Amino acid sequence: MLFNEIYGKYFAAVSEIIKAAQSGKLTEKELYAIVRDNAFAESSLVIPQMLKDENWPLLRKDLSTPIEHAPERSLTLLEKRWLKSLLSDPRIKLFDVSAKGLEDIEPLYPADSFVYFDRYSNGDSFEDPEYIKNFKTVLKAMREHRKVYVEFKGHRGTDQKRNCVVYNLEYSSKDDKFRIIASGDRYSFIINMARITKCELMEEYSPEEFRPKAPIKKEIVFELFDERNALERVMLHFSHLEKETEKIGDKKYRVKLLYETEDETEMLIRILSFGPMIKVLSPQNLIEQIKNRIEKQEKLRTQK
Amino acid sequence: MPYSELVKNFERIRDYMRQFYVYGFKSRSEYDSKSARSYDNERRRIESWLGDYMSFRTTAEGKNVFISVDSRSAEQNPLYNAFRAKSFTDGSITLYFYILDLLSGGKALSVQEIVDGISEKYLSEFENPEEFDVSTVRKKLKEYTEMGLLETEKRGKENVFSLSEDGVDLKNWAEALAFYTEEDPLGVIGTFLPEKPESKIDFRFKHHYILNALDSDILCDILLAMSERRCAEVAVTSKRNNDIIHVHNVFPMKIFISTQNGRQYLLCYHYSFRQPMFLRLDMIHSVKPGAVEKQYEKYMGYCEKLRENVWGVSVGEPFSMDHLEMVIHVEKGEEYIVRRLEREKRCGKVERLDVNRVKFTADVFDAGEMIPWIRTFTGRIENLHCSNKAVEKQIFDDLEAMKALYGGDEDVI
Repeated sequence: MLFNEIYGKYFAAVSEIIKAAQSGKLTEKELYAIVRDNAFAESSLVIPQMLKDENWPLLRKDLSTPIEHAPERSLTLLEKRWLKSLLSDPRIKLFDVSAKGLEDIEPLYPADSFVYFDRYSNGDSFEDPEYIKNFKTVLKAMREHRKVYVEFKGHRGTDQKRNCVVYNLEYSSKDDKFRIIASGDRYSFIINMARITKCELMEEYSPEEFRPKAPIKKEIVFELFDERNALERVMLHFSHLEKETEKIGDKKYRVKLLYETEDETEMLIRILSFGPMIKVLSPQNLIEQIKNRIEKQEKLRTQK
Repeated sequence: MPYSELVKNFERIRDYMRQFYVYGFKSRSEYDSKSARSYDNERRRIESWLGDYMSFRTTAEGKNVFISVDSRSAEQNPLYNAFRAKSFTDGSITLYFYILDLLSGGKALSVQEIVDGISEKYLSEFENPEEFDVSTVRKKLKEYTEMGLLETEKRGKENVFSLSEDGVDLKNWAEALAFYTEEDPLGVIGTFLPEKPESKIDFRFKHHYILNALDSDILCDILLAMSERRCAEVAVTSKRNNDIIHVHNVFPMKIFISTQNGRQYLLCYHYSFRQPMFLRLDMIHSVKPGAVEKQYEKYMGYCEKLRENVWGVSVGEPFSMDHLEMVIHVEKGEEYIVRRLEREKRCGKVERLDVNRVKFTADVFDAGEMIPWIRTFTGRIENLHCSNKAVEKQIFDDLEAMKALYGGDEDVI
């Protein structure tokens, strides 16, 4: 159903080639450039040749085309049904989309088809008018390269305010929360969207002069013992991180992961969830924290 | 067949991509179930589709190929590219552009008029082109009409075809599409849209599991059956039974998705086993829709009842329930632990016993599924009892094993 040639990169690349040919500006060099930009790494070995050999009779020898109109297809029924499904998602209210043209379309799936069974229950209130207003102000600021003034509740409940440039809007499906990643005068910070109590548009800034700071990453190395299908479970659980895995023995693997420093506590909890299937080799401070947890557990056990 | 970077069938490449992405430590010789040539071709294709996301490492066993992506910083799920590599015939791509062009400007033409137009307007410009017969063109027009690209109506005795006018204005969808293309379980469809407006918003996704994109085709077929309340025949690989494929006749009810490893499961009613069950989507090979289920409400009622006591995706032993109680020690200033219990529990209840103790209680079908979560409270568990003694033993044995492991004993596992 989804896997159809008309959605393919070859069709998209040829469509661009025809448009360039219609403008009368298509050259051999341009032909290859379009393929490079619109298709796969090895497509330049195929598409130009198929057109030049007239296996796909769409370009004349002089790289003009008998196709008169710019190739434009309408949305397929599948695409429309998918868009219609999105309209019933609570988060759609954060975006000003138009339902025009989708009135008589059946959604591809009903709104309650999915159950995110291990999602945390304290997610953002996407339908709260104040939340929507703040979210849209942040979107507008990012779109127009403007700073924002935000007031928010800090983690310890204290009132805080910042004048900042928002350069990323981050969503976590597990937390079901949006967070803004922003930069103030001196340093970068992250604010949960739901903690923002006031959000105002400020002056413009020059995106050329503003360089977002790359997140600082740390490395964790652990040995993994493949018992009770741990290999597959661990690999899937950490699959969203940059990683390298090496087999070092029978049912024994060495895994190196990169994670962002702000996630240190979360990493500790995630490592603990695999119990004795994982032995952390570095960093030392993480090993100490795990040992500390084991000692505390032992004390609780002996106190009984 | 000469090598092509496009594929006709998604099934084989799906398996390779999963292995390159999830594991990434296997050398060429370890892909023993497939021929070396097949491995080389699939690896070359994936390299062509994914470019820099493919990495290599040389070990004593040979060259290991793996896909490494930090999905938090990747602009778009690179695995979506695989869905844009469907093979086609020379005639197919040519006809696509001829038909769009002939019908542009609101024209409505019959099959014969289209065949004649192709011949006169385009093929006459080339030396020895392959002609298109009426039946080939008719078949293509039918396909495009079913997809919604074309509309058809009667003109006298014959059908005429014209381009569909969708009237959908995507201009103000830019940011929503940037978000849902990554976040929605069928987000791959967002990459197909023609003339997609460009978003100026740089979304990032934390805890973003991209692998399930490879199951999009299966998911789409299941959702289509669900939207029409149809039962379905699903072909599933059985890992416990030497990878044999079994066909199950089921009524699909919900898609369960883990936000903590990305796995997707179909919750369905199994007609032969006469009970609800979960099937992993990555183990499903095909979905064939069947008849409309007349007892829809009855089965959905089972589903809702089941959800009250299912911790994850296991229904455990039929008709049995495990009772679990856990007392967590909380120090002054550690109220965040209580909040963790509240937000992370999927069923059951949390009670404050006194200033330092909080009790969690739950009745679930399979308490074994709770073990990883319980382990995250290591260092705080004052007391734990489970009616399923095997689960209780496992938790305490694991704690002992952890103690030995970090005390220097590597042979504890």
